[in-house]
Amino acid sequence: MSAVLETSKLSVRFGGVHAVNEVDLRVEEGQLVGLIGPNGAGKTTCIDAITGFVRSTGEVRLDGEDVTRLSAHQRARRGLGRTWQASELFDDLTVRENLLVAARRPSLWGVAKELFGAPVTKTEATERALELVDLAWAGDMRPTDLSQGQRKLVGVARAIAMQPRLLLLDEPAAGLDTHESEDLGRRLRSLVDGGQSMLLIDHDMGLVMSICDHIYVLEFGKLIAHGPPDVVRRDPKVIKAYLGSAAAELADEVDGEPARAADGGER
Amino acid sequence: MREILLFALLGLGSGALIAGIAVAIVLMYRGSGIINLATGGISMLSGYCFWSLREGEIASMGTVPALLVTLVFTLLVGVAMELVAFRPLRNAAPLAKLVASLGVLLIAQASMLLAFGSTQKPQPSILPSDVVTIFDVNVPVDRFILVGIIIAITIGLVALYRYTRFGLATRAASENEVSALLAGLSANQLSMVNTVLAALVAGSIGVLAASVTQLDTVSLPLQVVPALAAALLARLTSFAIACAAGIGIGIINSLIDYLSTQSWWPTDHGVPMPGTKELLAFLIIVAAMFLRGARLPSRGELVEQRLPEVPKATKILQPAIILTIVCAVALVVLPYDFRQALINSMIGTVMALSLVVITGFVGQISVVQLALAGVAGFTVSHMAVDFGIEFPLAPIIGAAVAVLFGAAIGVSALRVRGVSLAVVTLGAAVAISNFGFVNRTWGGGDTGSPVPQPEIFGIDLGTEAGFRGIDGNLPSPVFGWMVLVVTVLLCMFVASLRRGSFGQRMLAVRSNERASAAAAIDVRHVKLVAFSVSAFIAGVAGTLYAYNFGSVSADRFGPVTALALIAFAYAGGITLVSGAIFAGLISTQALLPHMLDKWLGIEGNWFLLFGGVILIFTLLQHPEGVAGAFYKSREQRRARRAAAAPPAPPAASSGRPVATVGVDS
Repeated sequence: MSAVLETSKLSVRFGGVHAVNEVDLRVEEGQLVGLIGPNGAGKTTCIDAITGFVRSTGEVRLDGEDVTRLSAHQRARRGLGRTWQASELFDDLTVRENLLVAARRPSLWGVAKELFGAPVTKTEATERALELVDLAWAGDMRPTDLSQGQRKLVGVARAIAMQPRLLLLDEPAAGLDTHESEDLGRRLRSLVDGGQSMLLIDHDMGLVMSICDHIYVLEFGKLIAHGPPDVVRRDPKVIKAYLGSAAAELADEVDGEPARAADGGER
Repeated sequence: MREILLFALLGLGSGALIAGIAVAIVLMYRGSGIINLATGGISMLSGYCFWSLREGEIASMGTVPALLVTLVFTLLVGVAMELVAFRPLRNAAPLAKLVASLGVLLIAQASMLLAFGSTQKPQPSILPSDVVTIFDVNVPVDRFILVGIIIAITIGLVALYRYTRFGLATRAASENEVSALLAGLSANQLSMVNTVLAALVAGSIGVLAASVTQLDTVSLPLQVVPALAAALLARLTSFAIACAAGIGIGIINSLIDYLSTQSWWPTDHGVPMPGTKELLAFLIIVAAMFLRGARLPSRGELVEQRLPEVPKATKILQPAIILTIVCAVALVVLPYDFRQALINSMIGTVMALSLVVITGFVGQISVVQLALAGVAGFTVSHMAVDFGIEFPLAPIIGAAVAVLFGAAIGVSALRVRGVSLAVVTLGAAVAISNFGFVNRTWGGGDTGSPVPQPEIFGIDLGTEAGFRGIDGNLPSPVFGWMVLVVTVLLCMFVASLRRGSFGQRMLAVRSNERASAAAAIDVRHVKLVAFSVSAFIAGVAGTLYAYNFGSVSADRFGPVTALALIAFAYAGGITLVSGAIFAGLISTQALLPHMLDKWLGIEGNWFLLFGGVILIFTLLQHPEGVAGAFYKSREQRRARRAAAAPPAPPAASSGRPVATVGVDS
């Protein structure tokens, strides 16, 4: 297997604080990798650094190619598609246009041609992405008319519509109820099974543990453990650092019960 | 050396004036988060008030009673401004507040024009006119008194803000309105007191500085530009720095006056190079923005309101054809004066279109568009006069030069946005106008620079073409047809731009620059292209202006006209092509003002006044403009009809409950 994403010694400093401290991540082709950790562990900052939204040191390689010097939109163009915790949609565009503007990159000539012909209103990628998050019915609505959870899904669909090499999702399930969250998990898993590589941050331990192939655990900006879900969940360092009081419930999950304690415990 | 000292001391006068307005700007910004472009306008109002009370225009009072009445008047102006324009916009986007202050400025200017005409008034000085001698230099003593008063006011304000409960409350509110509200402070009361204080400071300067400025409707209002430079150097927070920077700018300006008497100073047709002071103010603004951080100190505000919506045109070709036929016939049938007004309306439409692209689509407010039109107009003139290049090459070069200027301003806009950009472009507009257009070598001075008739393959397309319509008068409908073709093509271009993928990208940038980058949109590229496109449209309008009047002169592209243009574009609907058409119809010398003038005897300055009133009304009631309001009501009717025959509920198809409103972590 070859690595889609590889970071080495990725670090972000805010003043004197090491928000991300020499993190080495690796996402293999077609793998779903989870990134977990307590609040303030630097998960989102880590995604920001990978996608170029925060100044960082160290190296980010996409398909073996060094993208560290590229700006955010150039990295997006190379295939790093991301979402945000606060959905960050284009409220002036319809839901479908939100996807379209990310999915299509017509040349100057293409733009000129559009001035005379009918504009493109959808592509295969946008329709598939809307279908995947079950929002095809909302295509012509404004994001402002949707609920918070739906807005978040539009953000996920927008990133998917870009057909990225690597999809980086920042808490896509926050704001969804248990049922919806499980549903989303299944859909994401099927996307990965179709060949999509993915890096997922989520508070929903049940979701992360049930669908990820490999999990990295961050604490105070440092990687403290990584491995397959079964290994990580038994790692004493992880239980101590991240789960604390929720450890008991985690044990439940080993017995087959879904654990959602970390979710509530963190907020 | 003696002369340098003399001029430096003389500069204290205009320095005090700039410092006073700068302090008022800072005061207002800290009090209510508004960058008040009308601050100089308030000085002007008070100046006129005092003059009219003193010199027999309204009354012939003594100095003291006139002064007292003027203070009361200024206070009332401050209260009215706060209640009518600014309080209702407390929670609006910063840009909307800035545009509202523009409306206040237009109303102030237009009302004084209507009341007292455009000639300069002899403002009586209330300060002693003695002369003091310092180091062998004779300096009028009022310069020192003026500076002394401003410094005293500044010290008083610093003390007020530092040591009183009111000052503490204002500082708290300007840091974070939400928590100030939670602490039981009324943002409205604080804002009111600060606005009135600012009005009083600006107003008293307008009366006191009589000896260093002229009383007319342009000089004092435009002092807001150097004052903004000083206020920005103070980051809109420090009274002391604003005061010192204002005095400093005044001294430098005065030294420029001295230097321009020297033999080595560059001249233009025998007069010292014009516009150097305005250029300096612009450079200081740019430097302040870049060195002291592109971002102005922001306030934690209650609600952030978005810019008006940008609806998509459903049909383009059909309305374009109808418009073309109606206007083409009207150009032949209408009497000459209406024909001219129609042509003016179409050119005004093109001008407004450039604002639709840059402000409506990308959310960047640019005051410099009219100056870009002027650049194109003067280029057309100089191409013909200096190089013998005429139609159709000259207008193409003209528009290209406008694009170059627009792209240069776009580059600066990559670092500044929103309100800051409006201030930068205002500085640029004033600098281009005074440094470029007034210069007789580059521009045309006030006399104007001639523009030959457009002609191609021996066919005259100009205003003096052979065919003269039904009444046989100038201007020729042929020229009108050419303007019509250009206008319709540009309207269609802008409408399809909005529908296409580039339009989506512009709106994406307007909505959220961060998310745009994540969606692989090159934000800088989009802004730069948008600036170039809107500069191109402005440039085309400029060449049409040039051919329309047969000459180009500086006053046509001045900053005051530019501000009025923004008011009209906003009132029409800043996000819509139909809004631009409406803006064209109500712009200066266009159809609507002409009809009112001809049939009801309402002169043009009334329309400027209406422009200001409509602008504020639009901001408060219909931020989407007249055209947008039409569009909205049509949409609502359509929605009601659709609701009468409901389709299958969309959520039902998803087979699961629609996601609940989430708790964001």
